[in-house]
Amino acid sequence: MRFPAILILSVFILIQALSPLRAASLQMGVSVDVVPVGSDFNGADIVIFGSIEGAAQDPLYRGEYSVVIKIEGAPETLVIRQKERIAGIWVNNQSESYDNVPSFYSVVASRPLSEIAPAGTLKMIGLGIDNLGAIPQQFDEPVFKLEPGEFSDALRRIRRENGLFAEDPKALENLSPTLFRATVSLPANVPIGEHNVTSYLFRDGILLATNENSFRIEKVGFERWIYNLAHEQSLIYGLMAVLMAIFTGWFANVIFRKN
Amino acid sequence: MSIYLPIAELSVNMFVLFGMGAAVGFLSGMFGVGGGFLMTPLLIFYNIPPAVAVATEANQIVASSFSGALAHFRKGTVDVKLGTMLLIGGLMGSTLGVYIFSSLRDAGQLDLIISILYVVFLGSIGTLMTIESLNAIRKSKAGDTQPVKRKNHDSWIHALPLKVRFRKSKLYLSVLPILALGMLVGILAAIMGVGGGFIMVPAMIYLLRVPTNVVIGTSLFQIIFVTAYTTVIQSTTNQTVDVVLAFILMVGGVIGAQFGAAAGHKLKGEQLRALLGLLVLAVCARLAFDLVATPSDFFNIVSSLDQGGH
Repeated sequence: MRFPAILILSVFILIQALSPLRAASLQMGVSVDVVPVGSDFNGADIVIFGSIEGAAQDPLYRGEYSVVIKIEGAPETLVIRQKERIAGIWVNNQSESYDNVPSFYSVVASRPLSEIAPAGTLKMIGLGIDNLGAIPQQFDEPVFKLEPGEFSDALRRIRRENGLFAEDPKALENLSPTLFRATVSLPANVPIGEHNVTSYLFRDGILLATNENSFRIEKVGFERWIYNLAHEQSLIYGLMAVLMAIFTGWFANVIFRKN
Repeated sequence: MSIYLPIAELSVNMFVLFGMGAAVGFLSGMFGVGGGFLMTPLLIFYNIPPAVAVATEANQIVASSFSGALAHFRKGTVDVKLGTMLLIGGLMGSTLGVYIFSSLRDAGQLDLIISILYVVFLGSIGTLMTIESLNAIRKSKAGDTQPVKRKNHDSWIHALPLKVRFRKSKLYLSVLPILALGMLVGILAAIMGVGGGFIMVPAMIYLLRVPTNVVIGTSLFQIIFVTAYTTVIQSTTNQTVDVVLAFILMVGGVIGAQFGAAAGHKLKGEQLRALLGLLVLAVCARLAFDLVATPSDFFNIVSSLDQGGH
């Protein structure tokens, strides 16, 4: 389902590569491979850093280079329901389903996306919350963009409010004309799993290069043990939960009897 | 101080949860109800996924009802025979209830049906209890020393066969209404995600005419087993019991319950029933309001990653 996107992107990059600007490329690193989620996890910041290579040799250098970084969690299927009043009671009535919605989506840049590239370019590469690709299930033909509409607008709005969709046009810092660093905040409700990091290099609204990387968000220690036990040994887990409850109830009773 | 819940997969404030546990525990200790009908809506309101809230609440009630039942055992206010009869009906009922729960979920609109069930049951029980107990209070204030009549013999319930003697409750009663009551409460408990004490306690008082002092202990005794059973079933079918969340609520709950029980001793039976009736009506009003009030957001999202959901 990502195929058309990759194809368009490849053609795009190919065209760019043949132009005199071809020299420029991007290097990028993520501060961590694994973000541990323990009992004190309440969100985390990760640092993404990198450099623009080949910029200095560019004889036609005139405009400013801009880097945009996108962090995307694993895709999921979402159902958006709309409440309607039926016989005086608010009831979930109409619904729409969307496939391939990123479970987490964050874009960081050094200035607003609209200043970095024209709307058409952003739409074509699916960059920015409003240009996010998702496929409504009720269409047979895969529709590449999550087109504006009541339901998809609600999806974007609710996810923004939850902190799962974010756009920060100030989080990326240019340390020098060729070095950049971005601090990305992961909220406490960030989904567990693999997250892809893609960086885009623009100049004068033209996409010159991209680079990909990734990191994982993983439960560790006690949290991991509990989660695994609940899913792999669910009967033992259930019995353990009951025993814990009985012991807690008994213990409280013993303590308070003395008073 | 925030803590990450491994099953609910979110970070919450530990003291808020502890406080919620203590407050609900106080009320449950006072009235001898598990408190699930208060705690489950509270947890959902605090953004805990409904499926996790319902399952975890069952686990918490095991602790609070066990602690409460121990205290009643020492005072000798548990009718084990009656409780066991109710329990047999309860286990049958909750098995059936889990089945109804999943078929309702498959059909969609489970949230709505749960809310309507809450409103109907809380509304009718709350109204009955409040009216009855206010009448009793008015009578005792008017200096009417005439004892409340125990209409043991003119009720159809007492005409049913298979009678058994319950010494502790001073009852000679057919097992059929007891099994039926246990079963009804079991079904509702599984669907609504509660222990069922708020239905069991008034039904024992008004339908079975069990003496008030035995009712609470016996109800708690039965709730321990029904909620323990529900915890195991929820763990194996939905994996939605969060033991970290349950433990915080338990600790708050059992502490609150001790103070609640002490406060309960200072009140007369009819005062206690009037307060419980008003509390039940308040929760009912809140849920009814949510059904008819214009929602702040007309849209809601369900993710394929949050399995289940009630």
